[in-house]
Amino acid sequence: MDLIHNLKEVFEIDAKIKNDFQIEVEAKKELVSSILLYLKNQHGFIHLDHMSCVDWIEDEVFELVYIVWNPNTKKTVLLHTKIDRNKPEMENIDTIWDQANTYEREFREMYGIEFPGLVAEREFILEGWTEMPPMRRDFDTKKYAEETYATRPGRENAEDVREKIIKRTGEEIPDFAKKYSRD
Amino acid sequence: MTREKETTLYLGPQHPGITGNMMIKLKVSGDTVVSAETHLGYLHRAFEKLIERRNWLQSFTILCRFCVPEPDPIELSYALAVEKLEGRAVPERADYIRTIVAELARIQSFLLWYGGQSGSGGLYTLGQWSVGDRNYILDLFEDLTGARIYHMFMWPGGVRRDLPEGWVDKAYRTMDYLEKRLDDYNKLLFDNAIFQKRAQGVGIIPKDKALEWGVVGPPLRGTGIKHDVRIDEPYAAYDKIDFEVPTYEGGDVWARALVRRDEIKQSINIIRQALDNMPGGSYYNRIPNPMKWTVPAGNAWAKTESVRGEIGFYLVSDGSNKPRRAHLRGAAYAHGISVLEKILPGENIADVSFILNSLGVCPPEMER
Repeated sequence: MDLIHNLKEVFEIDAKIKNDFQIEVEAKKELVSSILLYLKNQHGFIHLDHMSCVDWIEDEVFELVYIVWNPNTKKTVLLHTKIDRNKPEMENIDTIWDQANTYEREFREMYGIEFPGLVAEREFILEGWTEMPPMRRDFDTKKYAEETYATRPGRENAEDVREKIIKRTGEEIPDFAKKYSRD
Repeated sequence: MTREKETTLYLGPQHPGITGNMMIKLKVSGDTVVSAETHLGYLHRAFEKLIERRNWLQSFTILCRFCVPEPDPIELSYALAVEKLEGRAVPERADYIRTIVAELARIQSFLLWYGGQSGSGGLYTLGQWSVGDRNYILDLFEDLTGARIYHMFMWPGGVRRDLPEGWVDKAYRTMDYLEKRLDDYNKLLFDNAIFQKRAQGVGIIPKDKALEWGVVGPPLRGTGIKHDVRIDEPYAAYDKIDFEVPTYEGGDVWARALVRRDEIKQSINIIRQALDNMPGGSYYNRIPNPMKWTVPAGNAWAKTESVRGEIGFYLVSDGSNKPRRAHLRGAAYAHGISVLEKILPGENIADVSFILNSLGVCPPEMER
């Protein structure tokens, strides 16, 4: 296939066919913006379908994925790259596709990845967030929720709360099945 | 020339014209929008984070909540991605049932859109009619899946239940009824001078920029570009069904509305064909015990066509019994933020909600 051959020739990277519609490429982070520009301008991949980020905490890397689509050939390229998790920084590509700006803002907030040159407000979804970026694997959602939010009194465990209410108020709990029965 | 004073106007997060809990910060000069900025954060429930803590099947209780008006294509995209990762085959009958469910989901979402689009233009009657008629589709869903809105029906390997007795006849009758009703809708909305005047030439997406901006679905087909995931990368039984993809030129609210109007007819046509040619056999390629079910390590990208445009799922497995990463690409992610911010300047304040509805913006898709 031309594209696979060209990528090998121009960037010395191996692309493989994933299925009938998809081609998968892995590249060093320094090459990503050049490959994306090349795919857009030379091979008609004008549509940025998606960008994703995966936290591989055990390998101390973040994997960034760029998914681009060619409307003429109906092919999709998935471009993977890995960046250092301890100093997460990646080139900004919103000059190639405007909507990449939204993804990059989200990754900056949710994973703590910096995109030098990204012009946008720092706050995107979270407001006044001071904790670790929450989509990182080591962010403990349950612990955060327990520490931040109060439990409603009487609901700390799976006990039948209605019995407690009866004791506290002397009020009788209606028999809902009987009350709303159609018979 | 004197410059008119600019005022900041906040549309939402609580506003009848907004499509969910989101806010658009508008800078206006007189009645004209000078700039727009989408603000999120009112709805974030960390769905994707929660999915990472649940097994492959438990995720379905969360998946359907990504977009209330149309949860089925999200379930289907996820199921397709899991099947790609696992190499799990789907019985032919299940493919046909999935096609029917996906198209029913499209029709009910179109009917809901009729209400939003006409209501934001000041025409309230059509919304009452179409939302009423939508209940007939929800009845079909209830008979088939046990639920009206959140179905959790299209699992990896097929569908959860076979078609119940008498369901096929009921589906045919509902399609006949809806087909007749479409003429009434046309008279009420598309022949209405108010709607025509308000929709034509408003909220224009330029054809030469649409693909680059990430526009998908009816807004893309409203610029004259023929792209539909069901044709380009067929899934379920779409490659065995004959249907057309309507396109209109103009890129305005009117063109997008016409595309949707014609797509309902196509959906009815697809459902009839799928019912006519429904094969026999099994409806489910059973998965192992869900608590112990592991999916081979790897990544998959699968997408389906919803009413708002393509819905993609990027799914990563590390070989365990839970997804390592499940990342949704909803149509609204581009439409509701970068596209909206580009097309609103120059429009009238009263048209902002109107344009928002025509793009099919669903906030929970943007902040998952």
